Amino acid sequence: MKAYKKEVQFTIWMTAAFILVGNVGLIFSIFPVDAMLFGFPVMYIVPILMGWFGVFLLTLVAGKIGNRIDDEIERENDTLGNADEAKEV
Amino acid sequence: MEQSWQLDNPILGLVVVGATFVLFYIVGFISNRQSKSAKELYVGGSNVGAITNGLAMAATYMSLATFLGITALILQLQVPFIMLWIQLILAIPLITIIYGTSLRRMGAFSPTHFIRDRYGTTASIIAALFMILVSIMYALGQMIGIAITFETLLGIPYITGLFIFGILIVGYITIGGMAGATNNAAIQMVIIALMFIVPLAAIMKAIGASGWYFPPLLYSDMVPAMMDALPSFFDYQFSPKWYFSIIPALTIGALGLPHLAMRVYTASSLKSARSAMVWFAFILGLVFSATYAMGFVGVFATTTQGVTISDADADKLTIILNMVYNPEWVTALVIAGAISAGLSTLSGNLLAIGALISQDIISTLKPNISQRLNLRIGFIAIFAGGIASILLAINPPAFLVVSILWAFGLAGVTNAPLIIVGVWWKEANKFGAIAASVVGGAIYIIVSPFVFPSIVLTGHGVTDGMGLSGAMLAVPISFILLIVVSYITNRMPALSGKLTKQADIELIERIHGWKDIKAYRYNSTLGAGITVVVSAAVAIWALMPWGM
Repeated sequence: MKAYKKEVQFTIWMTAAFILVGNVGLIFSIFPVDAMLFGFPVMYIVPILMGWFGVFLLTLVAGKIGNRIDDEIERENDTLGNADEAKEV
Repeated sequence: MEQSWQLDNPILGLVVVGATFVLFYIVGFISNRQSKSAKELYVGGSNVGAITNGLAMAATYMSLATFLGITALILQLQVPFIMLWIQLILAIPLITIIYGTSLRRMGAFSPTHFIRDRYGTTASIIAALFMILVSIMYALGQMIGIAITFETLLGIPYITGLFIFGILIVGYITIGGMAGATNNAAIQMVIIALMFIVPLAAIMKAIGASGWYFPPLLYSDMVPAMMDALPSFFDYQFSPKWYFSIIPALTIGALGLPHLAMRVYTASSLKSARSAMVWFAFILGLVFSATYAMGFVGVFATTTQGVTISDADADKLTIILNMVYNPEWVTALVIAGAISAGLSTLSGNLLAIGALISQDIISTLKPNISQRLNLRIGFIAIFAGGIASILLAINPPAFLVVSILWAFGLAGVTNAPLIIVGVWWKEANKFGAIAASVVGGAIYIIVSPFVFPSIVLTGHGVTDGMGLSGAMLAVPISFILLIVVSYITNRMPALSGKLTKQADIELIERIHGWKDIKAYRYNSTLGAGITVVVSAAVAIWALMPWGM
């Protein structure tokens, strides 16, 4: 049960996080900001930076957690043994 | 002043492009010598390392549009188009975490392979037909781009270039198979990155930008001049609704693109697939950021430096900037980069078409044909798909990116919901899948400006043409139909004999890595209900006035 819950929650939250960092333009279209950063308008450069480095960092996190959840599923499988395999629902 | 943009010395360009072609043919030939089974042809034996795969993913995704179409649309739409393009980087990460690793575990060749095992023959053939349409439209965009590039390069007529080089390219992909395509795509990614970013640095240096040594991000010293000359450049122009519509159309759309998902299946292991996604994000972010810089420099050059680019030449912006500011041999290298970008995407598209026709349609209808014959049909299908895209490219649309982005939406409507819901919800069944794919697909096509120009949602040409408005309506409808029709038909005793509930349950548990079956897993009615409510809200919002 634990690994299953983690898998579902990881997928939902990670998907939401990816969509958010990839669509910062949507956030700025709702809440405009009139400021400059590194010589660019914030509303221009922040979506670009998040769309590169933000997504890159998330892929690192997603890769690590995804591998860990796979291992947990494997461990839960091992504790089950073969006795109740392919049980009817 | 109208100007025709061509190399003064076409031989130089020919030599550079010819050399890259020879390289790709050799790599393809060597890589594919051992392609004896369909698995080797379509997923490279599922034995591709993380760095090669990550580079190949990026190259497959980064189509010729990087060099041609995007910069043209930045010229036309400015910042909103950059905002639209940024989220395309989410494709491989989302495919990997939502369903890619599950389908890799299953050993699928293509997303439609999963749809066949999950929903049965009829649903998979409908999905495969839509996917062939998507892949051909995508391939068509590349063919058009390649022919335009050769027209610019050599001054030879569009149609002649289309046929000669189109057939050469199709030959190379047919010979190479997936192993060849993957190795070539990794090489092509390096060529694309170098041939795009280094010449851009030279252009920026010529214009006087102090940050020329890192073009993707260091061009802020040009911002004040841009704001003086074109104050509206940084304006968002459109409402939040427009920016929201990008999510169903392109973010979800990319999840249904077969040639991207197939890259995940080539990984040697699940861990390797996840590492590949990291490499993908890094390299794609680098080149995407350079693309925005190129678009920025293009607008800067036309507004402040007196460079004139006619509407008809907008697609060629990258090449024109190189012609204006760089020596000819650099432009020849850029053209080789552009051709590489087109080739890697085209090979992904044609391999997807091959897998769809031979594995998902012919093997489904005639499961007993020999492996040898199946492989032969695959090669023929790859070749035929290429020829079809050449023939369709005879009469091209003006902006090639628009047709490619519209195809994203079609994939998002007809395939993505079937795969996403199919992997995560046991109740999804074939009646829901068929209803979602057919009705959703039909609505998307009807509200597109291509079939009935008077039936559109916004009346804003590019928004309707790119499928943003259509997908915001059709994608949620597709999710609703899949969930509601499945839920109802699962409770109709008369239909229970036609469903394969136990096999579906076993498949879902297995592809998530479980060895046993538990009723509570992947069975949330609450989750399905929330999806229906959110989808209904989005669909209703899409029908309300867009104010454009």
